[in-house]
Amino acid sequence: MAERRIQSDDKHIQNLAAIVGGEHSILYHKEDLIAYDCDGFTLHKHLPKAVVFPKNTEEVAKLVKYCSDNQLPFLARGAGTGLSGGAIPINGEVIISLVRMKRLLNVDLENRRAVVEPGYVNLKLTNSISDKGYYYAPDPSSQYCCTIGGNVAENAGGAHCLKYGVTTNHILGLEVVLPNGEIIEIGKNGILDTPGYDLLGLLTGSEGTLGIVTKIIVRILKKPEAKQTILAYFDKVSDGSQAVSDIISAGIVPAALEMMDKIAIEGVEAAAFPVGHPKDIEAMLLIEVDGISAGINDQINQILDLCKKRNVREVKVAQNEQESNRWWANRKTGFGAMGAISPDYLVQDGVIPRSKLPEVLDRIQKVSEEYGLRIANIFHAGDGNLHPLVLFDARIPGESEKALKAGSACLKVCADAGGTITGEHGVGIEKKEEMRFVFTDEEIMAQTNIREVFNPNNLLNAGKLFPTPARCVEIKKERKVSHERRKVGTT
Amino acid sequence: MVQTDLLVDLKGILPEERMVEEEGEIHPLGNGGKITVYPDSEEEIAKILRYANTHGKKISIVGGGTKRGFGGGNESADILLSLANMNGIVEHTVGDMTLTVKAGTPFKDLQNALAAHNQKIALDVNWPGDATIGGVIAANDSGPKRLGYGSSRDAVIGLRVIYPDGTIIRTGGKVVKNVAGYDMNKLFIGSMGTLGVISEVTLKLRPLPKYESLVLLHFPNGDLQEIRSFAIKVLDSMLEPVALELLNPLLAEKLTGHHQYTLAISFEDNESSVHYQEEFIHKIQPEKSQIDILSQNKARAFWDQFYQIAPNGAAEFTDTQSIEAALKIGVVNLDVLNVLREVQLLQDSHPISILAHGGLGHGLCQVIVKGSSEEVLSAIQWLRNSVERMGGYVVVKHLPLILRQKIEVWGKKPSHFFLLEGIKNKIDPNGILNQGRFVGGI
Repeated sequence: MAERRIQSDDKHIQNLAAIVGGEHSILYHKEDLIAYDCDGFTLHKHLPKAVVFPKNTEEVAKLVKYCSDNQLPFLARGAGTGLSGGAIPINGEVIISLVRMKRLLNVDLENRRAVVEPGYVNLKLTNSISDKGYYYAPDPSSQYCCTIGGNVAENAGGAHCLKYGVTTNHILGLEVVLPNGEIIEIGKNGILDTPGYDLLGLLTGSEGTLGIVTKIIVRILKKPEAKQTILAYFDKVSDGSQAVSDIISAGIVPAALEMMDKIAIEGVEAAAFPVGHPKDIEAMLLIEVDGISAGINDQINQILDLCKKRNVREVKVAQNEQESNRWWANRKTGFGAMGAISPDYLVQDGVIPRSKLPEVLDRIQKVSEEYGLRIANIFHAGDGNLHPLVLFDARIPGESEKALKAGSACLKVCADAGGTITGEHGVGIEKKEEMRFVFTDEEIMAQTNIREVFNPNNLLNAGKLFPTPARCVEIKKERKVSHERRKVGTT
Repeated sequence: MVQTDLLVDLKGILPEERMVEEEGEIHPLGNGGKITVYPDSEEEIAKILRYANTHGKKISIVGGGTKRGFGGGNESADILLSLANMNGIVEHTVGDMTLTVKAGTPFKDLQNALAAHNQKIALDVNWPGDATIGGVIAANDSGPKRLGYGSSRDAVIGLRVIYPDGTIIRTGGKVVKNVAGYDMNKLFIGSMGTLGVISEVTLKLRPLPKYESLVLLHFPNGDLQEIRSFAIKVLDSMLEPVALELLNPLLAEKLTGHHQYTLAISFEDNESSVHYQEEFIHKIQPEKSQIDILSQNKARAFWDQFYQIAPNGAAEFTDTQSIEAALKIGVVNLDVLNVLREVQLLQDSHPISILAHGGLGHGLCQVIVKGSSEEVLSAIQWLRNSVERMGGYVVVKHLPLILRQKIEVWGKKPSHFFLLEGIKNKIDPNGILNQGRFVGGI
């Protein structure tokens, strides 16, 4: 195949292209770069210098070394589904896209592990081992398109992490290209507790600021023998939330325990996957239990009883897999569904102690009144991860800014209730300032000190995760809102 | 007499009755201090650290002392900082299933308090009566039930840590799901006290199982290949064992009376599920294997005994000719069988006795070697050679000081050692905390 010439005088573009094998593996024209000016967080945009598509670890290492030697800012990107702006090239970065490193390298069922490249799509892993009865547990709602490399960067969660944990609980080993181009292996061979500080745990969820992951050893699990889904409707949020506490206190560990409030239900019922939830209920619970079939009926009966004790209006067990799938599709597309009842929406990601739910929802209602914007709540109730969805109309001048402020106010409510500002979406650029709701300056510095060990020149994904020391001016500039519709959110 | 200046300085920080001068002979496990101090607040710890940091003093940290023989090549630091007074539950939010506790609290005290609420910390650790929660986390101790419940990495959701410069840092939080900033909890779990003093720990809890049983499967013909096939069958089934631990014949004899390779398969769930799983094992058990099922209290009694087989650094030291070493070995899951095979070869050809077990679903083994100094050291070397050939590692968890000085407790430095060193230097630039206790002499 004849190689097309690079149509750029920029020597960096030519050199980067040479590393990845030419024109087919690099984008540098403005019209091509526009698609990479943001990720799932669309309220802030910036064009990258170029986007390169390496095919293997060695190319990644060479690209990184080149950028590092030439003081070019750079960052890694997977599918771009991140919701906090972690892959937005705010410094005109060279984007190292990992989507062509998408192979499943090895599956070892006997030792319950698989080795994947970072661009491998989350759901593909489960699909490729499901006929043998195995699966990969972390299941962000974007799992049909998001990459496992991105999941590692964000420490992605999902509806089923209540019982099975988030990404960090399933990563056994990583190959990483450090910001100077050096390749290291941590958690070698996927063996637990390899001697040394737990870099595996530190790298997972570091939002692409410590290194670029080029190979991942993940734990895979055997699919549970049986699974049942329960749907419960409540006339009062407090009853629904009390039922959640009762279920957990009874010693049941559901695989998933989800809640939606009235506005969220209005949204999902108006969108693509309605299931006929009553419009006048205040809270809906979607509960999944799994395990040994001989024991599952005891769990179900107990849950039904507990819901009844909390004045449930209606509670039912899915009759078959199709019904359960319909309920889950309705829930999993919950964010995007807000598009059916509002021109725009902004999703937040606070976490609260589960028991504080009723009071937190009251306070979020007050935020809603204060800003004059409707707020829907979708809630991983089992682990306290709350997604307030602020509904707004970007065409109305000033409303986007108001929505951002309302979103931030929701996070403040979560932090004040003893919780935190993000449970699974990450800080990115979106919640940098909100880090101050939960951490002192010393605690933030303790973290940036660690970054300096890995990323001393801060060329890799700079300006993410941590608040800028000089607060006001830069932040305001950064928060300038564009009048773009938000992409359909995921999680 | 020994350290007059040090003593005078420390008296300015905490009352004399909470300081003890070391007297008599050096502790055979080392890791002591010329003066032991018992701070009872974070402020006091911060002051002690700040003092040491600015005066070039070295600090050793101790909880229950069960891991005193784990790492470190020094007889004594200047100060031995005991967390014994940092004891008690700070907050147990029953409805949220979270617990905040001071680091010096004995593990078993916590489990007892939680049991009243049908909850537990889902960690199974050695010497739970003596070991403190802080020590368990700093050394990342775990047991066979890690298969079902994970380790400290999975249970810890927040820490309070005092840095060498006296700064108090909170990591994580009090909620079970949290990705705000770096996951700094992980940095301190297993760091052997070389980065900071953990003063407070927040954990996520699990419900106590409604029912539990332990299926013991003895393999009289000792055919490891047969055990392997059976284990794969279990792992590939719908069974949900919380432990699938292989015991070597000597350990099985000690715990069950059968001198045979024995699989300890633990089930914890509601009663119908547990019985169903027991029955399933019964159906698929290999022809010549023998099955024993211990339910409820009997299962618990087995495990209580199990957690006391490793040497306890806090025990009274008896001066015998025989030396005891404890090793932590990590391999790819099913290589545990190969580790136990090596153990058998070693035992058959040397005058030593070895208790060994390993998890076929998680790949971690504990190996306890008893014999003369020479034999114990050569056994460690032998095992390390064979395990490293499998791609795994051997860490020496317990050994008297004079022998520790002759070997690499942590094995070879990893190729990315500069990152570990970089982290240590950032946080503890003067090297005051548990100096030399960790990988590569950090």
